[in-house]
Amino acid sequence: MKEKTDAPSGGVVNGLLHILQRVSAILLVVLIFLPGVNPGRITELINKNVSLFPAAISYDSLTAEMGRAFTKFWVAESTIKFLFAGSIVLLIGILCAAAAGCMSVGNNRLKRLGGLIGIGGSVLMIIGLVIIYMSYADIRQTPNPDRVNPMFPSGLTVYAILVGIFTLSNAVATVMVMMRPMENRFWMESKYKLFLMFLPFAALCFVFAYLPLWGWRYAFFDYTAGGSLTADKFVGFKWFTSLFQSEATRNDVLRVLRNTLVMSGLGILTSWLPMAFAIFLCEIKNVKLRRFIQTFTTIPNFISWVMVYAIAFAIFSTDGFINTIASAIGMLPEGTAGTNYLLSSDGIWVKMLLWGIWKGIGWSAIIYIAGVSGIDQQLYEAATVDGAGRFQRMWHVTVPGLLPTYFVMLLMSIANILSNGMDQYLVFENKQNTSVIEVLDLYVYHLGIGNGNIPLSTVIGMVKSIVSVILLFVANRVSKSVRGESIV
Amino acid sequence: MAKTAQEKIDEKAEREYEKHHKSHIKKSFGDKVFDVVNHIFFILFTLLCAFPFYYLFINTISDNSMVQKGQITLIPRGININNYIMMLNVNDLGQAFIVSIARTIIGTALMVLASALVGYLVTKQEMWHRQFWYRFLVITMYFNAGIIPWYLNMSMLGLTDNFLAYIIPGIVAPYNIILVKTYIESIPAELEESAFIDGAGYFTVFRQIIWPICKPILATIAIFGAVGHWNSFTDSLILMQNNPSMYTLQHRLYIYLNTSSNLGQLMSGGGNVASTAAAGMMNMKVLKYTISMVTVIPILIVYPFMNRYFEKGIMLGAVKG
Repeated sequence: MKEKTDAPSGGVVNGLLHILQRVSAILLVVLIFLPGVNPGRITELINKNVSLFPAAISYDSLTAEMGRAFTKFWVAESTIKFLFAGSIVLLIGILCAAAAGCMSVGNNRLKRLGGLIGIGGSVLMIIGLVIIYMSYADIRQTPNPDRVNPMFPSGLTVYAILVGIFTLSNAVATVMVMMRPMENRFWMESKYKLFLMFLPFAALCFVFAYLPLWGWRYAFFDYTAGGSLTADKFVGFKWFTSLFQSEATRNDVLRVLRNTLVMSGLGILTSWLPMAFAIFLCEIKNVKLRRFIQTFTTIPNFISWVMVYAIAFAIFSTDGFINTIASAIGMLPEGTAGTNYLLSSDGIWVKMLLWGIWKGIGWSAIIYIAGVSGIDQQLYEAATVDGAGRFQRMWHVTVPGLLPTYFVMLLMSIANILSNGMDQYLVFENKQNTSVIEVLDLYVYHLGIGNGNIPLSTVIGMVKSIVSVILLFVANRVSKSVRGESIV
Repeated sequence: MAKTAQEKIDEKAEREYEKHHKSHIKKSFGDKVFDVVNHIFFILFTLLCAFPFYYLFINTISDNSMVQKGQITLIPRGININNYIMMLNVNDLGQAFIVSIARTIIGTALMVLASALVGYLVTKQEMWHRQFWYRFLVITMYFNAGIIPWYLNMSMLGLTDNFLAYIIPGIVAPYNIILVKTYIESIPAELEESAFIDGAGYFTVFRQIIWPICKPILATIAIFGAVGHWNSFTDSLILMQNNPSMYTLQHRLYIYLNTSSNLGQLMSGGGNVASTAAAGMMNMKVLKYTISMVTVIPILIVYPFMNRYFEKGIMLGAVKG
């Protein structure tokens, strides 16, 4: 692609030093987000869920629990401001170190620039750490050590070690690079250039999709919100066995599992409806009318479940449409209040199914409608020649043409049998129907967020995730062996 | 918007097919009965989908006392838009509206930019360990840690009670990246190569060639992203527990639908004579209906224009790479 302008690169030692430099830079960047190693947690008044990143971005996150300490002069506000400044300097230094690590994959000239930036970063990081240490020394002078609880942040040691490694490896590597011939311009191999452009997005993906898996460790501890995960709280598989041993939990889980399976099962049993909808819709030959119908039946798919509930409220609540009509035609005696159909738990499973169909059928049908227009017209002509009537053509040509699509949809809904989401059931839930409407996802939400039982809800979520992945894997296998095509 | 070439072809084919059949086959009596029943069914179902929106709407623009007496069922009477003006006085509604608008615009814009760029990068065979990194992204579609670990993670990152929680996690959307990637792969490679020969860098090629060509697919994912942001409710519910000023409109609607407090408490300046008198013209039922309409109107307005993108979207979903 481009002519190679790279001068001879350094030897093995230089390569190893650069690897050391990059690894320590990466670790420093990761540590920014871990609250456990916040180097600025010099007192227990700083929330232990605050990592370096928020601590250096927002002053409020540091002082959230310090109102009293400030007014009583246990802690001088200047100390915390000093600490905040130190955190900012440290963060900027780490960013410089990260930039140096990135540039070290370029040619000598780029390596040299990166190395210099890295040296600047080292200086900043060291200044930041010193400032943080000084604010720690400062806060130890507090008149009320019992309430302020000054503590030497263990994160400070970790950072100091990493900063040391980075500073040394970066400095030596930079000196070695400088002794080599310099190119006339900056250059980097395109494979690294592309990767560095991709890197920030990979980092985001890691933070929001992979990092939550680290939260699975809560399943093995006696954890309450705001507590800590220390070795003495480790309980092994206690929460897993409590699923079977504690009768209350077992009954709850069985109940929500029944709700989940019944509702998913009803969904699977009616999963052919969108296909039928599409086939019959395609029998309407007036294109304008068909598009009109299609447009209106698709709208409900694009409103939220809260909005669906708002509609249910307007139609079925005490003074909603149904009751208004009933009283207008004399079904509802004058003066009596109407029935709030949303409160009762009667037939809630079917009601939920019907709402799901109302919301989704038009949309789900689109893929089959496209499938119908994809069927070879000659098949219909051949069938007609063979004397097939309209229904026979639908049954023997259209349906078989759509079955492969249906098969994929069916497998996907079987793979998702445990995940019916919580929005729909959350909005329709009330005191009277909660026992029959609560599905697995909603139960986990209530248990974890509502009742604060984080370990148990993590266990349930974890088991659910694993089962779902296995189901998906099996569904994929089935699809591969039956159709020779994978679905994921 | 003009119809796409494909749609035109489809419709032409349908007409021809129809003509062809009409000329050969006389409709039997059973066929005619079926046609009538079929038409009736679909028209009824269409009404079933559209009527609730109409019913909500006519109740919000009619005379409130008639609404209260249950006299508005099919046609609006005493038309006025006072209820919508009153919405300005409902506590926290304006704030929620701004939050929802802001997250929809910012969140969608960043997601589209990121999907376009990442989608382009993962088509480049020369990227360092491309295959691994592509799988690293895509595999996240098929597992999730569960809602509680997700919540703990967000709180560890300082993203609870924080507007950024609506934006940042949504930037990297693997499914949309796949769509863009598939789309770019369908573009002839020569276009790009000629630009590279002219000495353009990756960013230049991305900006001047890839971005313009990808506009149709980007419009599609933008619309899906925007609808998702607008409708999103659970993230507000779970992450903003201590910061009601960051509630989304959907979350507010949910709260108002379930509230049993009276109007005075919900309107700004509850004790104020003027606003209490103004509130007297309203009632809880109308208030709930109107907030619902405010929440759904943006969707209903953009829907007719975006319909064809929506349909394109689901078809794209069928061809995954």
